[in-house]
Amino acid sequence: MKQPLYLISSCSISPQHTYDAGQFLQPVMSCDNGKLFVIDADYAKYISPVAIRRMSRMLKIGITAGMNCIESSGVASPDAIIIGTAHGSVTDMENFLKDMIRLEEQALNPTSFIQSTYNSVNGWIAMMTKCTGYNQTYVHRGFSLELTLLDAQMMLAEATGTKYILAGSFDELTDEYHHIHRKINYFKQETFNSLALFDHYDTPGSIGGEGANFFMLSNEQGNAACAIHTIKMLQKPTSEELIAGINEALAENGLNSTDIDVMMCGMNGDSRSKHLADTLLNSCEPNTTITTFKQLSGEYYTASGFGLWLCDHLFQTQQVPEEIVYRKGSATPIKNTLFCNVTVNGCVSMMVVRRC
Amino acid sequence: MEDIIESLKQQIIDSLNLQGMKPSDIDDNAPLFGEGLGLDSIDSLELMVLLERNYGIKIEDAREGRKILASVQTMADFIQANRKL
Repeated sequence: MKQPLYLISSCSISPQHTYDAGQFLQPVMSCDNGKLFVIDADYAKYISPVAIRRMSRMLKIGITAGMNCIESSGVASPDAIIIGTAHGSVTDMENFLKDMIRLEEQALNPTSFIQSTYNSVNGWIAMMTKCTGYNQTYVHRGFSLELTLLDAQMMLAEATGTKYILAGSFDELTDEYHHIHRKINYFKQETFNSLALFDHYDTPGSIGGEGANFFMLSNEQGNAACAIHTIKMLQKPTSEELIAGINEALAENGLNSTDIDVMMCGMNGDSRSKHLADTLLNSCEPNTTITTFKQLSGEYYTASGFGLWLCDHLFQTQQVPEEIVYRKGSATPIKNTLFCNVTVNGCVSMMVVRRC
Repeated sequence: MEDIIESLKQQIIDSLNLQGMKPSDIDDNAPLFGEGLGLDSIDSLELMVLLERNYGIKIEDAREGRKILASVQTMADFIQANRKL
């Protein structure tokens, strides 16, 4: 058994009311234009007026989510900060590239360049919490968060005195980002209400989303409601390889498929990865409740962070909201969750999350 | 000189995104860094870009830059003496 990652606290800033978890899905937010943008939080609570004036949207979102997660955990300063992102702050990158063209590569503003770097959020959080420990950023598209968690798992298992790691992920949606990704069928050509995402499995692509999801991880249980026990990544698996991967993940934990109370399925409405979604759905036993989340978060490279936040929320509340139920099972209370995320290009990550 | 000072203040506000500030809120002689406007090192880079882009002036020496960027008045004096645009 590998080192369990105890989820001491979590925070999500997403297109749903997740920042104030008490209002989660009250009401359910949706869109009709294929773009699910986050609901703004009170950024000024954690970021000074002098600093905030220079920050782009995603920088404020990421820092606020990270700082709120730290505050909720009761830890003054984490021992390490590890964050995953596919594209960092897209707005800053767009501003910098536009300036390069507009100003013919002369006298470019430094701020958007500095803050477009992938590790800006980590750096700010480290400065704000005076954390001088390990600080790492993983930029690996759809596996950015998963590699972040693996690194945290190895670090906490090494028994070097590290007890608390802030881990998380963020990715941003902009109109131009959506426009470009729509051209390559990452996002769907047609528009419809986002809640009907899974009625559109006959066309390629998904709906746009964004968010920042952070977790305070520890090798000590503390007040954690759940822990991640296994993290697995499969590069474009066949259906048979996916089934084998699930069985392997369950066996590592001494579980079989009937032990899974909730399957958190990160299906995304993309026709090219429908076979994987079908395999996941068909692999579930009748007692397993199947839930989905990308109709609420939209698709983005680190959307698995929203799914993991949702897992933690389910364990904390022991309630499965109707809005995320794809097929109702019978198992209660929630003891074991299998979380599987499917990316647009057909990769799969999975985690076994268990009640403490 | 008055015209330079007024437009420079507005350019500083726009460039540094000093939300809620008006040109009249900035004292001509107050220090821009530290106690005055409380600007930092990244702001100083932004101000150097502002001078280059709007007035065609390039500050090559960092020590010289510290004196030039001391206040709006010192910046305006420098602009009047060296502007190319």
